[in-house]
Amino acid sequence: MIFAGLPFATLATIFGAAAAVMVGLYILKLRRRVVAVPFSPLWQKILRDKEATSLFSKLKRLLSLLLQLALLALLVLALGDPRAAATLIKGRNVVVLVDASASMQATDVSPNRLAVAKDEVKRLIRGMGGADRMLIAQMDAAITPMGPMSGDTSELERAVDSVKATDARADWPRALRFATDTLRNVDNGEIVVVSDGNLGEATDSSGPVHLGDVKLSYMPVGKAKDNVAITQFSVRRYPLDKSRYEVMLEVKNTSPDPADVELTLLGDGMLVDLTKLRLKPGERLPRFYPNLSGASRTLEAKLAVVGDTKDALPADDHAYALLPERRRAKVLVVSTGDTYLEAALLLDEYLDVTSATPLEYATKYAQKTNTFDTIVFDAATPAELPRTNALYLDPRGPGSPFKIDKELSEPGFDKIDRKHPIVRFTALDQVNIAHGHSFKLEPGDKVIGASEGGGPILVAGTRGGHKMVAMGFDIRESDLPLRVAWPVLLLNTINFFTDEDASYLSSFRTGDVWRIPVGQGPTQATLKLPGGQEQPVPVHEGRAVFLGQRAGFYDLELPATPDQKPGASGADLGAAGNSVHFAANLLDDTESTIAPQEKLTVDGKEAGAVSAFHVGVRREIWIYLLFIAIAITALEWITYHRRITV
Amino acid sequence: MNRREILRRVAFGAVVIAVAAAGLWAYFHYVYYAGPTIAWKRGGKDYELLSPRNLIIAAVGAPFFVWMIGRSLADLPWPQRIISVILRIGFVTLLAFGLARLARTATTQKVCTVFLVDVSESVPDAAIADARAEIQKAIDQRPKDGLIRVITFSARPRVVPMADDATTAPALERHDAIERRERKEKADGKKLGADAATDISSALQLAYGLYPAGYLRRGVIFTDGVQTDGDLLAEANRAREFGVKLYTETYKRPVPGEVALRELRVPDKVRVGEPFELHADIFASRAQKAKATLKQGEAINGLDGVRTLDLKAGENDVTFKSVVRVAGEVTYALDLTDIEEDRFKENNHYTVTAAVPGRPAVLYVEGNTRRASYLASALSAQEFDVDVREPRELPSSLRELERYDFLILSDTPADAVSLTQQDAVESYVRDLGGGFLFAGGENGYGLGGWYHTTIERILPVRMDSEKKKDEPGVAMVLIIDRSGSMTGPKLEMAKAAAKATADTLEGDDMLEVIAFDTSPTKVVKMTSAKYRARIQNDIARIQAGGGTEIFSALDSGYQSLSITRARKKHIILLTDGEAPQGGLRELSQQIAAEGMTLTTVGLGADVDANLLRNMSDLGGGRYYGVSDPSQLPRVFTKETELVSRSAAVEEYFQPRVVAPADFLRGIDMGSSPFLHGYVATKMKPAPAQEILESEIGEPILARWHVGLGWSLAWTSDVKNLWAVEWLKWPGYGQFWGQLVREHMRQKKRQQFDMRAEIDPATGHLKASIDAIGGDDKFENGLDAKFFIKGPQPSQEAKTLDMKQTAPGRYEIDFPLDRYGSFLLHAALSKPVDDGRGGIKMAQVAESYGHVTNPYPREYLALAPDAVTLARAAEITGGKLDPQGFKEVFDPAGQTIVYHMDLWKWFVGAAIALYLLDLLMRRMRLFDRKKTVRPSKAATA
Repeated sequence: MIFAGLPFATLATIFGAAAAVMVGLYILKLRRRVVAVPFSPLWQKILRDKEATSLFSKLKRLLSLLLQLALLALLVLALGDPRAAATLIKGRNVVVLVDASASMQATDVSPNRLAVAKDEVKRLIRGMGGADRMLIAQMDAAITPMGPMSGDTSELERAVDSVKATDARADWPRALRFATDTLRNVDNGEIVVVSDGNLGEATDSSGPVHLGDVKLSYMPVGKAKDNVAITQFSVRRYPLDKSRYEVMLEVKNTSPDPADVELTLLGDGMLVDLTKLRLKPGERLPRFYPNLSGASRTLEAKLAVVGDTKDALPADDHAYALLPERRRAKVLVVSTGDTYLEAALLLDEYLDVTSATPLEYATKYAQKTNTFDTIVFDAATPAELPRTNALYLDPRGPGSPFKIDKELSEPGFDKIDRKHPIVRFTALDQVNIAHGHSFKLEPGDKVIGASEGGGPILVAGTRGGHKMVAMGFDIRESDLPLRVAWPVLLLNTINFFTDEDASYLSSFRTGDVWRIPVGQGPTQATLKLPGGQEQPVPVHEGRAVFLGQRAGFYDLELPATPDQKPGASGADLGAAGNSVHFAANLLDDTESTIAPQEKLTVDGKEAGAVSAFHVGVRREIWIYLLFIAIAITALEWITYHRRITV
Repeated sequence: MNRREILRRVAFGAVVIAVAAAGLWAYFHYVYYAGPTIAWKRGGKDYELLSPRNLIIAAVGAPFFVWMIGRSLADLPWPQRIISVILRIGFVTLLAFGLARLARTATTQKVCTVFLVDVSESVPDAAIADARAEIQKAIDQRPKDGLIRVITFSARPRVVPMADDATTAPALERHDAIERRERKEKADGKKLGADAATDISSALQLAYGLYPAGYLRRGVIFTDGVQTDGDLLAEANRAREFGVKLYTETYKRPVPGEVALRELRVPDKVRVGEPFELHADIFASRAQKAKATLKQGEAINGLDGVRTLDLKAGENDVTFKSVVRVAGEVTYALDLTDIEEDRFKENNHYTVTAAVPGRPAVLYVEGNTRRASYLASALSAQEFDVDVREPRELPSSLRELERYDFLILSDTPADAVSLTQQDAVESYVRDLGGGFLFAGGENGYGLGGWYHTTIERILPVRMDSEKKKDEPGVAMVLIIDRSGSMTGPKLEMAKAAAKATADTLEGDDMLEVIAFDTSPTKVVKMTSAKYRARIQNDIARIQAGGGTEIFSALDSGYQSLSITRARKKHIILLTDGEAPQGGLRELSQQIAAEGMTLTTVGLGADVDANLLRNMSDLGGGRYYGVSDPSQLPRVFTKETELVSRSAAVEEYFQPRVVAPADFLRGIDMGSSPFLHGYVATKMKPAPAQEILESEIGEPILARWHVGLGWSLAWTSDVKNLWAVEWLKWPGYGQFWGQLVREHMRQKKRQQFDMRAEIDPATGHLKASIDAIGGDDKFENGLDAKFFIKGPQPSQEAKTLDMKQTAPGRYEIDFPLDRYGSFLLHAALSKPVDDGRGGIKMAQVAESYGHVTNPYPREYLALAPDAVTLARAAEITGGKLDPQGFKEVFDPAGQTIVYHMDLWKWFVGAAIALYLLDLLMRRMRLFDRKKTVRPSKAATA
């Protein structure tokens, strides 16, 4: 027996003092009332009784005192909050993994699976043995222990209450690894999984999870299989004609019955398309909406069931996407005149091109380079590094950030890093070049094109925190400008600078770590979640990092920096002013397949049913002590007033 | 026992059962299921009744106590009784409140600090010792009520057992040491390579479970910031939400000597027989030497196998030359050995695998197959599979042609290639992207009658080359049989042939047309060919009728030519029947003697072929036996070409390079031997590109794009006639090899770009394919199968399905639990009609990639990432490298809200109240001296 409340010494003191007072009070002779009794035989009776019962009366007093002392002892003991000493010695150590993934929002059980799961866990807590300890952890895309390993039921119940549903998948191997880490070197470890069982394989990149001696129990939740889900939703601009875009929407019927659904596509909240579909059991139906154009920025897809069709999981019936906004990129061309360059830049209407001679650049623009997104230096090399991204064509001057290694005669693109975004959709192999020069590389530089034996002639790197690309020949001394590859290369480079990549996809996936491009500069940004809450997120290498677990539209507010380009914050997603907008979706097959699994197998072992949690003994002894004390009070009250004790 | 007794016992039993049932009910109702709670706010604090139903005790107790006092026999005055009952009710109420578990939020400033110590492989022992010293410092400085917990982590975290009041820092061990001990292994066991990793976020997650309620949460991370799994920044967000303030401390020990092979890169396209360079990214923490051994497969790489490297401090880009001789999968393994100072051996090895496509197939159609061996063997030596065929074996279906990457049609006359075959060649180039080379010779270009054919249309040169100004024209006489047997299509085709001849001739050429039966008629007198319309009108008027008398007609033609001034004089004689032979041989000889030439065309089976062949032989021309009259125009134009063009230029010359081309690299064209001749052609306008030209500027080699493929014209020949000296030239094979290689069909199928990488946060392989069609359209609805083979050299293969995630994008993401290099391949197919009313899957595109998961990222020897650590600390309100632990333990005005149970206060108060109650009963406070009047009952 140990005391979790007041220490024993204090209890003894309290008891001693209070008992002393009590005994003192009992020693005090109760002054009797003077009662005039006019009938002498009565007196005799009283005196006779008194003599006869004086011993009994003493005994009754003593009994009364003992009752009082017992009551006091109970109360003082309760103050000590006694616990069975076994708590410290032996008992089960249980990690309860409460599945809080999206499928747990299914409403097939009332009010939803997570609420039922939480009730189940509370039942477990109440059924804990005196020596058991438990840790409650929320399992979603991450694993979050809601409190320490504890035997305190109210603390555990509070932990259960703080479990909240997310719109993400469950990272089952991670959760299991956490549980095994927690139970390492602990006796009688047990993992209890409260879930609908759609967790997938317990395997990650380190291989399958091994449980060791830890016991695994499974408490299934949920009953229905009926669900129709949006499993893909995305929008993408066409690579060349960026004014048009295509939407992909995929719906899946995970239930064993056919389903009738109504599919709505909204652009900026306005109806774009409404389709009624009938899905066969288990059918996955992708739909494409090609050649869309217009000013819509936000896209939403909604799914509603029609007729008798049932849909138990509303969380996957709504998907969000944001059309990558096209922003006018400000381009400064510093050249003594190059028709090929100017003509190529005319091809993209979203470029805002300013031309300047090297002299004009020095006098007019050199001090405000940061107002441009990109500067193209055509055979010009200013002494000072521009404070923005720059493309250097044939840089030979002393101010070039890329130093010339050697002169080349008839170089060619013999080696091309085809994965680099600036050479996408180009064929540079056959470009013929009369003269050129190769570059000396600096650490971090990436060779995009190199001539056989001659070295790098197209290089990308970072100088002064800005992206720079250099090409080691005058395009007029090559047939590059006559090829389709030239404008594509140029526009790819500008897109590379502004991060407007053709591969941009319109939404993030919940449960992933998002790296939201925000551009160079800020180290912290404020993220506004779909619910309206705000929280700061760190920015690292131009990307804000966040583990997102909620679906919907997000805003990322960037702090204004003195170096800020007007309207050119990070220049990516839906950048407008100082904020970046993006969307996030669940879109997960496994989560949408809500049919509860009856069995759960990990490491070749099937999880057993939860057992031995039905003892039903509430572990706080003080509560029982107080109940007994109350009962004794009542008893004492009766005995005293009926003069059974005095 | 009487009835009453029995009744009493039964009643007693009933009462006991009732009481027990009530107790049980009460237990489940009040104790086991606490029921809903009641919460409220007051004075900025939250109050909560966790088991409010227990308050009923007070509600039931109060009437009971009052009722009992009414029946009291105790000798107490009423005021005292009333006070006593109030006190007792108060006592029970207090206990009821205790049982109802009133709790309120309270704040505290106690701090619990969890120290997270990186003990991964990348951390030197000295740094771990430093961390322990820091923890000791923290223990010494911690406030009285502060708590300290310690976690060590590498791939997985572990809690280091430590008492709350410990005064010395616990020992910090490397996890592999612990595991070895757990497995009771000896310490000399090998390192746990595969488990080497650092996962800071998992360690943090484990830490969340160590903070007791009511403590401010602090975390101090000792690490080098090299994380291989998880994402510290994303976890820092959650730590912040969880109220954990993080401090990060980087290990400050100097970097020990280390050489790490970070990456070995193979070019995207490696071709058989083509040398290429492998790049190795080698990181060295300080300048030192290392021996590099590169293996291709099992053998040492031939070109560049073993080398001693002088590594400079930092990143080194080392290149190795190699060449692949046999198609298939090639695995390169680079090993670094003999390194003076190196901490990890694990990162000195890297393998990468590339798929080298098989030998390209060339179809070589040669008009003179006996002479095909020169080019065929030269191309074979250049790693091509060459299939030599006769012209009639040229495939006429695309399906057959698809098997080849390049097609050479050399020295073949046009009439040996059917129109279907020509069309197949055109769509092979245009639609399949095949490469096509048309080589000259005696039957090439105009000489072979290729003028105005499909093949001419796809070639970058024209065959109607203009003559040089100073050259005199051609005079030609067509002698056409119009005997009765020619009636009908024969004569019509003969007329068409004559008209075509007029078309083919240049303006300054002369033409005479003689129609003959028993006597010759000059339908067209010797006229300049520029009056084409008139000539053709006259030709149209030829009528059939009469017999066949050749001599007079031929003589008439001969006479006309004799008096005509022209560089070339030529007679074409067309007949379809037998005629008297008298004098014809002699006349033919006469014609040849005058420098004229005579070609004879025999139409149909009735001709005297011997005579006609004889005549043409004597007359220095050719004989054509034509069975189908529709062939006539072709024969005539070919003849005209042959004669009028004098297209074969038989001169010695060295071809000149006009425009640079990739395939000429490494070939010294200046040293190329002389060619002995070529067929004169003329360049088509741009984009046709002239690469080699003759001394008088006529094209020798030209090329242009046709549709997806290349079409090339080589106007000389490729064998021992004009190119006889080239056959001995060392550059011969290389020239043709490189030419074919550059222009051959690049891909059998459409290839889409595959991006594959290992996600650093999860260790998953993420691959995506962008399927974007040539017309800026996304390719949707494809069935994408993903094949992964490896790690090499094991041929273990796995097939997975890729999922379409966006228009034109297919993705896959799965855990890769093996180390080594892997080959990736994706096949994208589309349902098509199988022609029998069903649907079959047809592969439309493919995609290749490779990915290497060389060794645990732990051994990458990454530089400590202080920026990430600083950002992670900042976002939670902490900082990088705090100054001492004062700062860490300082609540800094921060308080933490926790739930304070108040029941103890209620129990305490109840005890006090109880004593008061006792006092109330043991001492008479009222009417102490007053004598009570005798009671009424007594009086009575």
